[in-house]
Amino acid sequence: MSKHGNFVIETQGITKSYGEVNALRGVDLQVPPHTIFGFLGPNGAGKTTLMKILLGLSHPTSGSGTIFGQDIVKESVTIRERIGYLPQQPRFIEHMSARENLLFTARFFFSGPQKSILERCNEMLELVGLADKADRPIGGFSGGEKQRLGIALAQVNYPDLLILDEPASALDPLGRQDVLQVMSRLRKHTTIFYSTHILDDVQRVSDSVAILNHGQVVASGPIGQILDGKEGVVYSLVVKGSPAGVGERLSALPWVTHTTVAQKNGSSLWQVSVSDEAAAETSLLRTLLEDRTLTVTDFRRKRYELEEVFMEIVNGGNHGR
Amino acid sequence: MAANLKLEHASEWSAVRGFSNLLWKENRAWWGTRRWWVNAILWPVLLGGLVAVMLFVLPGVADPGNDPNVAAAGGPLPFALQMGRTVFFELGTLAVALGVIVLLQDSIVEEKQSGVAEWLLAKPVARRSYVLAKLVASTLAVLTLLVGLPSLVSYLLLSMREGTPFPPLSFLGGLAIMTVHTFFYLTLTLMLGTVFNNRAPILGIALGSILGGTLLGGLIQPLLYVTPWMLGKFASLVAGSEPVPAGLLWAPLSATVVWSAIFLLVALVKFERSEY
Repeated sequence: MSKHGNFVIETQGITKSYGEVNALRGVDLQVPPHTIFGFLGPNGAGKTTLMKILLGLSHPTSGSGTIFGQDIVKESVTIRERIGYLPQQPRFIEHMSARENLLFTARFFFSGPQKSILERCNEMLELVGLADKADRPIGGFSGGEKQRLGIALAQVNYPDLLILDEPASALDPLGRQDVLQVMSRLRKHTTIFYSTHILDDVQRVSDSVAILNHGQVVASGPIGQILDGKEGVVYSLVVKGSPAGVGERLSALPWVTHTTVAQKNGSSLWQVSVSDEAAAETSLLRTLLEDRTLTVTDFRRKRYELEEVFMEIVNGGNHGR
Repeated sequence: MAANLKLEHASEWSAVRGFSNLLWKENRAWWGTRRWWVNAILWPVLLGGLVAVMLFVLPGVADPGNDPNVAAAGGPLPFALQMGRTVFFELGTLAVALGVIVLLQDSIVEEKQSGVAEWLLAKPVARRSYVLAKLVASTLAVLTLLVGLPSLVSYLLLSMREGTPFPPLSFLGGLAIMTVHTFFYLTLTLMLGTVFNNRAPILGIALGSILGGTLLGGLIQPLLYVTPWMLGKFASLVAGSEPVPAGLLWAPLSATVVWSAIFLLVALVKFERSEY
């Protein structure tokens, strides 16, 4: 855990330049423990660059960072004892079988007893469903099997932090499902920091997200907060009846901060921004239903799809969170 | 998840963290695949075969009456022994260096290109361990398969043809020079692998050093004192107990050792600073 805060990963103003190109431009990131943290961004946003810096594979041009409170540059080898990493394209020693690759990887972390190391490898093969193919040449593995073996290799040392670079992007829907299931199973044992551009996956399994664009974190926080959108708490209502009557009633409520209305098929579609979520939950619908000329056919808290938020941020809008 | 497995955490000197495991991997790549027996057959057959031709075929065609070299050597048999030794130490030294370059040219580059190096370095591994593991495993394999086995075969052939054991100390002296020469190209190739990201410049520079070296040494003689280009010749002379001016031998021999150390140092520093 960080000395400075309760975070597994914490970075301050990390930049990375390749000549004239600024791949990262002051990245501040905080990853809480035991979360599945989705690191989003379009291709070329700098996701892999940051991951490599966190792993000590690349050095930041400026800025600093800690993992488990240890400096990512000076204490990289020590940090890596507690990390599992799955690169975008999983790599293996091709002349070894899956079991041999696992044994080889495990020996970077454990020195014995050999029986226990082998047991640990077998356990990982079971976890990712490759026990029956453990001694086959890796060359015959499918993309999904390679990805699962990659996850097993990344997880063999009981890491406190798993860093996965695009773990499901090259897979078909079934392969993706496999990988997401494995990630969900690992949630209770470790913190998972993974990059992706598949927003559906993020919404399905992540607790928190950060969105990187042009080398900068443009949004970050718990997934619920991100999906709430930048307007804060907004309710959406579809009402049959006089829009004027609805407007009057809403404007009389002190915690309603803003309303918009649109007409659709004889109904009015209202977006109501509120400053007091608790009051809105108990009184908003009740207030409208007091008017017997109005019929409310739909009432819900407005939630954005991650794709909407992502597109808005990446295509120009900046939520500034 | 059985986090209760009684596993002991690896405790290795942090400066060479991961070395033993990486060395195991490198040794396995040499000795756990067909690579070892292909080389174990190829080199003794190639070099031993050439020596055998010199020893057993040449005396039948060498004519001391027509060839002053045969006469100078003292007859067809001494001439054959001289040629056998020369072929092994002079030609063999060059052939082994070529073999080292070909075998090791992609040792690091291939792993950099495929992403295996990146994957390995994401483990708790000191970067110098990666280079040192390659160096130790390659040295062991090359000295055994490319130098040791052919030497044994050639020594036996020379002894058989001579009818008495070939002077072992002289032979070992020649072999030591051959080893220094081989190590030079081994460290050079590994160093180039850390510097470049594709095979072409590695092959170009390393092969250029061997093939262009002799030519360049002929044009700029002082270069022969600070390069390994004459070592094959000296190995042959030392093995044949023939006189070699001490200064002429020790200068290039020492320089070659120093060059190898420099190459290793550059490889370690360059790899330490590389980004993946």
